[in-house]
Amino acid sequence: MQCAGYPEDKLRSLADRLPCRETQVTTLLSLMGEPDQYSYPSIFIYGHRATGKSHVVFSVMKDLELPYTFVDCVECVSPALLFHRVLLAFFGPDAAASLPRCPSLSDFVRLYKQMSSKTPATQTRFIILDRAERTRDMDFSLLPALLRLQELVSDNVTVILLSQVVWEKFRPNTGCFEPLLFHFPDYNKADLVQILSRDHHPSYTPELYASYINILLGVFFSVCRDLRELRHLAALNFPKFCEPLEKGEAKESDIHKLWRNIEPHLQRAMQTVYLREVSSMQWKEQQMDEKETTTPRGLSAHAHIELPYYSKFLLIAAYLASFNPARTDRRFFLKSHGKIKKTNFLKKHEKTSNHLLGPKPFPLDRLLAIFYSVVDSRVAPTASIFSQIMSLVSLQLLTQIGHDDQLDAPKYKCAVSMDFILAISRTVNFDAVKYLYDFL
Amino acid sequence: MTSKRKSTALTEAQCVSLAQKILRERLCQQRLPEQPVGLESQYRHLLELLKRTAVHGESNSVLIVGPRGAGKTMLLGCVLRELMNLKEVLKNVLQVELNGLLQTDDKIALKEITRQLHLENVVGDKVFGSFAENLAFLLEALKSGDKSRSRPVLFILDEFDLFAHHKNQTLLYNLLDVSQSAQAPVAVVGLTCRLDVLELLEKRVKSRFSHRQIHLLNPLSFTQYVEAVGSQLSLPQDFPHPKFCDEWNRSVTKLCEDKSVEELLRRQFNSSKDFRSLYMLLFLAVIRVSPSHSTLRESDLLEASRLISADSKANILHGLSVLELCLIIAMKHLNDTYDGEPFNFQMVHNEFTKFIQRKSHTIHKFEKPVVMKAFEHLVELEMVRAVDSATGKVQREYQLMRLMLEHGQVMEALQKYPQCPTDVKQWALSAFA
Amino acid sequence: MNETSSVSKGCFVFKSASRKRKRQGVDGYMGDGSDDNGKDRFRICQDLRETVQQHTEVLQDQLNKKVLDDLVQFIKKHELCNSSDVRRQGAREIPTAALMLGVNVPDHTMTFRSLCNLLQESVTPFVVSLHAKGCATVKFLIQRVLEQLMGRGMALDEEQDDETALHLNTQCSIGDLCQWYNSVKIRPHRILERSIKPEVKNNGLYWSLPIVVIFKDFEAFNLQALQDFILICSQYTQELPLIFIFGIATSPITIQHRLPHSVSSLLCIEVFHSLSCTQHLACVFDKLILTSKFPFKLSSRVIQVLIGIFLYHDFSVQSFVKGLQLSMLEHFNSQPLSVLCCKKQEALLRAKTLSQKNVERIRHLPSFMRYVETQEPQDQVLLLTSDEHVKEVCQKLLKNLHKYHKNYYPILQCLYSLTSLLPKCPMGKHIRELHVTCNEKNVWEMEEYHSAMQLLRILAKDELVAALRECAGILKSANTKKMQNVLKQVDEFVVRLEELDNLHTEDLPGDDVACSRKDIQRRTDLHYLQKSLLEKESRKTRKMSSFEILRNEVLQYIDELVREYLTPAELQPLSEVCYYSSSGVLRQRLNAAPRTSIQAALSHPFHYLQNEALKTNDGTVSSNAPDLCIIYKLHLECGRLINLYDWLEAFVTVSSATEDKEADSEEYNKPKNLKNACFIQAVSEMEFLGFVKSTKQKTDHVARLTWGGC
Repeated sequence: MQCAGYPEDKLRSLADRLPCRETQVTTLLSLMGEPDQYSYPSIFIYGHRATGKSHVVFSVMKDLELPYTFVDCVECVSPALLFHRVLLAFFGPDAAASLPRCPSLSDFVRLYKQMSSKTPATQTRFIILDRAERTRDMDFSLLPALLRLQELVSDNVTVILLSQVVWEKFRPNTGCFEPLLFHFPDYNKADLVQILSRDHHPSYTPELYASYINILLGVFFSVCRDLRELRHLAALNFPKFCEPLEKGEAKESDIHKLWRNIEPHLQRAMQTVYLREVSSMQWKEQQMDEKETTTPRGLSAHAHIELPYYSKFLLIAAYLASFNPARTDRRFFLKSHGKIKKTNFLKKHEKTSNHLLGPKPFPLDRLLAIFYSVVDSRVAPTASIFSQIMSLVSLQLLTQIGHDDQLDAPKYKCAVSMDFILAISRTVNFDAVKYLYDFL
Repeated sequence: MTSKRKSTALTEAQCVSLAQKILRERLCQQRLPEQPVGLESQYRHLLELLKRTAVHGESNSVLIVGPRGAGKTMLLGCVLRELMNLKEVLKNVLQVELNGLLQTDDKIALKEITRQLHLENVVGDKVFGSFAENLAFLLEALKSGDKSRSRPVLFILDEFDLFAHHKNQTLLYNLLDVSQSAQAPVAVVGLTCRLDVLELLEKRVKSRFSHRQIHLLNPLSFTQYVEAVGSQLSLPQDFPHPKFCDEWNRSVTKLCEDKSVEELLRRQFNSSKDFRSLYMLLFLAVIRVSPSHSTLRESDLLEASRLISADSKANILHGLSVLELCLIIAMKHLNDTYDGEPFNFQMVHNEFTKFIQRKSHTIHKFEKPVVMKAFEHLVELEMVRAVDSATGKVQREYQLMRLMLEHGQVMEALQKYPQCPTDVKQWALSAFA
Repeated sequence: MNETSSVSKGCFVFKSASRKRKRQGVDGYMGDGSDDNGKDRFRICQDLRETVQQHTEVLQDQLNKKVLDDLVQFIKKHELCNSSDVRRQGAREIPTAALMLGVNVPDHTMTFRSLCNLLQESVTPFVVSLHAKGCATVKFLIQRVLEQLMGRGMALDEEQDDETALHLNTQCSIGDLCQWYNSVKIRPHRILERSIKPEVKNNGLYWSLPIVVIFKDFEAFNLQALQDFILICSQYTQELPLIFIFGIATSPITIQHRLPHSVSSLLCIEVFHSLSCTQHLACVFDKLILTSKFPFKLSSRVIQVLIGIFLYHDFSVQSFVKGLQLSMLEHFNSQPLSVLCCKKQEALLRAKTLSQKNVERIRHLPSFMRYVETQEPQDQVLLLTSDEHVKEVCQKLLKNLHKYHKNYYPILQCLYSLTSLLPKCPMGKHIRELHVTCNEKNVWEMEEYHSAMQLLRILAKDELVAALRECAGILKSANTKKMQNVLKQVDEFVVRLEELDNLHTEDLPGDDVACSRKDIQRRTDLHYLQKSLLEKESRKTRKMSSFEILRNEVLQYIDELVREYLTPAELQPLSEVCYYSSSGVLRQRLNAAPRTSIQAALSHPFHYLQNEALKTNDGTVSSNAPDLCIIYKLHLECGRLINLYDWLEAFVTVSSATEDKEADSEEYNKPKNLKNACFIQAVSEMEFLGFVKSTKQKTDHVARLTWGGC
């Protein structure tokens, strides 16, 4: 990789710091051109998470010691922060300090002009915006302005936007200055192997680790391409992988044996990809204490929630209320309903089950009515019953629809899953399924 | 040839970088061209108008309308350049440049005007009853000393249409009002890419606007277009290294004649005539020039156009995991069954599990949370969009969603996809048939 | 007047009730001023409250100790990781502790308070605890964090105070936090100086003190804000050693349910479980109820009420304790004789100086009467006539009462330890259930008790020995003479059982023990048990191994103990002094039913306005009841929608039922529009009370908001 205007050695060091991204780096450099040359006003770099967008850009800027500022748009709760960062980076604190209380774009541009007229850019200045998609919901004119900033401030500045959302989603409806689009492709399998093999375990040979990575990818590649996640998984499962080696049951040479050892384990781990059930640290400890690893007792291992008796019934009632049509209540909850066939009150359009469509909101009194009919003993409508409903809401097991100030007829929705309800009703031995319209 | 290059390699490298420097500036529109290409009539018209204001002190208002990248700013720039060459104009005329993107409301705009007229100290901390008063005061303040006539002011409003969104269009109203009444010589030049801009104006504003519009609908013929390309790429005669310059320019002319390049340009021409996209193309071509190959070749242009015409959605799709692809296909199925009705995760998962149970042999059976995470990823990529943005109240599983992809894109992605399992392909086909 | 008081007070939420008591002056306290010793009662009550409070807090800390220590360990561990710069791949992961607290939200505050204190004194001064309320957006969230950290820091050195103040309200970013943190690192803060333990200082670790951010109620946080905050923080992991603690009430699932992968992959989560509230309650129960430390006792019914509220409504131990304290207040308030409810010596003194009125009261105590009846006639006479004698007796009785308590609890625990190891615990899983049963009636007459005894009879030897050992352990702590004797006895039993097998193992029939073992293993249903028992009986007649003889002896002894000591408290004379038994009142206080009380008020106005005219037999409404009541009664007959006109008609007819007999026409329609006015007002009141509301569906109709005929 060689590119005019930049010292060779730095480029070389860059090249091996950024594996599998040579082409991208070269393209980027050629886009930037030599430091004193103009670069395109705005460059939009997109690609999946963990394809090294920000990493590449950042390290290029850093190593080549170019004037740049790197801003993560999540941080910019207000554009003021963004302006502040930029001015600070380019013209020092006093410039940043001279920003008014809540600066408008025009203030920013004015200041920038002033400053840059004092100290014109000898090298291209770069403003790098990570998670650029956030700029859309800041201020309608911010993004278009940034895109043509070079023209607005008439200074050799280039705005680089990084995002994993495609440009089509950015373009405002009246159009704007089109940036230069530049895609960071996802790593293919070989790349992943190469990259992951880099952080191999000191006490084992790289070859072993590489083969381990190969096995890992063989299992996970179909479901997960995210480098970060794969890395996590690799770190997670490696101790298990080289368990036989420690025990002395196998040598590094017989990969097949190791594979047979790890394979079922990985298959199980498959069920928890992306879930981050256990932190790598905790996992290691688990490996320590229990040698034979059952499925990781992660977050989902204990989904059960202890609830007061009536809360359980309230929740069940809420579930029934939100998944049954209101008109079926009499059939379910009237003690002495005649034998009403389901067909009698099955309408044509109700073929799709409510469990697909999700919970419907229901008024408070319907909830209570159902509650009183399902709960076995006779309950007084005491204050604590109502407070329980509220606390269920605050625990996000129910959600309140509409405003909180609506006193006379608040509406709720049940926000828990079927199996959760079934588990609960089992504890109070109440057969919820019998009361569900979908399962008639 | 080779021997000479070796001998002059160093200077060669410098030449290349110098050439690039020039071209880059040109293509980033940092330097105005000598003559606006194919806009002569508009040029003369505008110049005439502004002269009237600048020299004879007539007020005026004009809109320059044209699609993005048609060269509005460039045109205006050229005109002003020429205008400013006249001595009496230069010392007399004042310029105020506003941009709809920056001056997002009238207060800011007024501040900016004051600043650009260098009247901050005059205004000091006066308080004004109304915007009109304030503006009047400013213009009054411009009356330079004894001469009864005040200095002409050129107001240049970029992104003119955005000013129309300001609160009851006070700024526009007042400016145009001034330009109507003979109180002070003022020219209001608006630049916009909206042809319907006049519909945006309130009646009272509209009535005060002299309905002069200059349209830049860029009637270039293809040959002119190609010429433009040539002129954009060729190096100026005063290039320090004439030999290199000749070589370069020759290569450029050769390039323009080349068949493949021509039909490439024609494609570009047909897709859009505007210069900016063209410049982007040329820029991408130029940056590929390096000491190792010191002249522009058609391969560079081809490569550049390939880069430009890449479908970004397809690119993103290519990076998805099989699981996520499956979800997309499931959504497609849903779209077909419920003809375009929005769907929620629950349904998608349902479809997916059906697929797993019936057809698939290779795809692993995933836990629901895992699938959910994959789904969330799609949402993050905005390939799936929530129908209403009231996310807080609704459970994630039941949020109604829409798929933001075309058949073609998905199919193409599937074709390109590295080792995509066959049964998934089958499934997809059954959907997209 | 009971109903009135109940209704009016029933409308209060219980909390404020207790508060009010405390705020009131001493003299204003304890009901009837006629009583001399109100002050004393108040004082006793107060310090009882205090002690209970202290006990609970101590208890709380003990119970939370483990999980808190784990947390501290966790944080320390990560602190080390930070300081030693081994930056793994996952360096961007923010260490996060998910703290499972259970749904008893009221108790959380206490836990968090102790957690904060612990952290601040043992780990780091930089602890931020966030409440979802203040953090609607990420901006506010960050602001809170900065305020709590820098605010605290700057408060100590004032010269920068104003500077930060302006800092905070202009724009606050984590970047500023970084600067501040570095500045603190460079010139160590006075807080650090104070708060850091020397050894930490020495090994120079303290420049990497972690910043702990506690999200008290994770569920309630605004998702977007939370996610953004985490994203932002993950940018700064290199500069700031951040550590999060999520206080989660429901279950760990919520984390991955609420955070998308892109965010959760930035966290490195470990789960910590605090003690479940039921265990917690059990401990509290042991320490506060099942002890002779406190003279004040709860009757079985009251206990049931409290437990019921706990189990059915809120798992909150705090409110359980509050309930206990409230019942205390009620007791001392309502029962004048509660002066005697205090430490033994004090009680005796007071008994000497009982006022004449109180002596009378004593005479009327049912338990005392029962006692009197058991005495010889002349004693009875004495007791009914001479106050002095009563005081004497009363002292004696008080002594007995205290003794009774001293013995009751050890034996209770012994019995529990015996029965709890039986299958399907016939006497109840928890000791509280056993306690309640014992308190209610004679245990030994109960079916469960017998079945339990039966089961005990077929207990295998080793189990029996183990159980006895346990009992011995319990008894050691009890320090009355009687208990010591019991202890001796038990020990002796143990010894004998021990030597049993090394004396004559040979004639101990192996099959017997074996089969009993077998039973123990596959004792499943009671039915089967009965059978086995019966055949055992039959076999016993045939032959009895020495072990069985001994076993029966032991059980015999235990049975005697139970009969002697576990007598129900009501039977104890003067039990009313210590036992608070009016569960009804307590229920009304703790589990208020505003609706029912209002409805009661409206449908039976007589209870409020004690006016004979309003006395009606149910269903009918008297014409001279308040308009509101009439309106209410009438609207009960209506359906979901009420036609105002019909309503008015009905109202007029009812309310003018009396007068229009003698009313002649021209003065009849004058009150008519008066009636309309009354009607309007009454209806608006109804609306105000939330029984009806105007509806869009039909003009001149109102909608009912209550359902059913209630």
